[in-house]
Amino acid sequence: MLEWSSQDLNHYKMVRISKALLKEAGTGLSKTLSEILVCPLTKQPLRVCEETNSLISDSIGVSFPIKDGIPSLVPKDGKILGVNDDQIKSDAADAAMNKE
Amino acid sequence: MRAFGAFQRSSLLLRRRRANNEPYALVPSGSFCTDNGFETTSNDSSRVSIFDRHLKRKQRDRAAWLTRPNDSFVDAVAENLLDRLEDCRKTFPTALCLGGSLEAVRRLLRGRGGIEKLIMMDTSYDMLKSCKDAQQDAHNDNIETFFVVGDEEFLPLKESSLDLAVSCLGLHWTNDLPGAMIQCKLALKPDGLFLGAILGGETLKELRVACTVAQMEREGGISPRVSPLAQVRDAGNLLTRAGFTLPSVDVDQYTVKYNSSMELIEHLRAMGETNALLQRNKILNRETALATAAIYDSMFAAEDGSIPATFQVIYMTGWREHYSQPKPKRRGSATVSFKDIHKHFGSENQSAQPS
Repeated sequence: MLEWSSQDLNHYKMVRISKALLKEAGTGLSKTLSEILVCPLTKQPLRVCEETNSLISDSIGVSFPIKDGIPSLVPKDGKILGVNDDQIKSDAADAAMNKE
Repeated sequence: MRAFGAFQRSSLLLRRRRANNEPYALVPSGSFCTDNGFETTSNDSSRVSIFDRHLKRKQRDRAAWLTRPNDSFVDAVAENLLDRLEDCRKTFPTALCLGGSLEAVRRLLRGRGGIEKLIMMDTSYDMLKSCKDAQQDAHNDNIETFFVVGDEEFLPLKESSLDLAVSCLGLHWTNDLPGAMIQCKLALKPDGLFLGAILGGETLKELRVACTVAQMEREGGISPRVSPLAQVRDAGNLLTRAGFTLPSVDVDQYTVKYNSSMELIEHLRAMGETNALLQRNKILNRETALATAAIYDSMFAAEDGSIPATFQVIYMTGWREHYSQPKPKRRGSATVSFKDIHKHFGSENQSAQPS
């Protein structure tokens, strides 16, 4: 279902926890959709980022938001991920861990 | 659209040549258009921008709130397009519905084509939201529906993942129509079907005339008010260029009658079909608007006082290549002469001809 790059493997545990939290809120993306959707610019597979509730295209480092379960894959809506964003992401994951 | 780009480029070449050979030749000013934004985009010759896609998105957001239930014109087009599914013996488990009149396509599907999973895609979030909310009272529940915000020019779908792609009245707003259709084709599985309906060049010809006359009269010049649309002959070329097999194109002309020309504009707004040209005039003078309405009335009004508006819809059908599809044989590969065919069937033909 998901494409994991090697750097994400150590986040896997945290992701699984926050996934459980998000499922209750009803923002999870359906399996069929995440299988069929690709990055609109590179046509490469997308990775679901549960912490920020977005779809990430790793090849170009852009994240696309998911709003109310509707992913937005218009290039204009995409946000370019900086180096700092990784830090923020892992912080958010840590926070989720602490809550548990 | 491409023709205009090519024309501009060739005229620049012409100018350069003239400048070299005849120093006294009359040199036309740099460009035939005054909008600088256009010139910068036209430098990148492969992508000419005609429409403001961002504005179109906003217009569709607004249209989501204005859409009237059961718009008879939109329903007629969607019905005609979906009717083609009944002609196919094949079923289409995974289908994509692109832009345009999403709600009508969903409502009128009525189990045709054996669709199990339907992906609805539009550039406007509000449009999808209203479509999602309308879903509750629809009766085709056995279709699993998904919603995605996406741009037809940047199709976010995996290669060979769909059995059917339907686009009802949406693709005529893309800047790169061939590109969008090629992406559709790539997203289809082999032997997948593409169904498209776009507005053709005859659309709103009355409004085009009325706008031009009114602007000439009030402002002493004209600006584009109605977008350039594909002609019927272009549609066939588009399908073959995108690489669809067994292409077919047919045209339907609808005349919609309105009580007043204001009602026509309201209808266009509700469909999200208002002017989104990059080169549009951003100011509409009240005087000019009223003059347009008056000219429309006096030139085109029917005897009963209603205002007709023409909509030409071009329906395009094409398939993704598959070995099971009929193909023409290679040139010169025939082993039987036409003369022999005549000998074989000659007697039958003669008996058949007089009747």
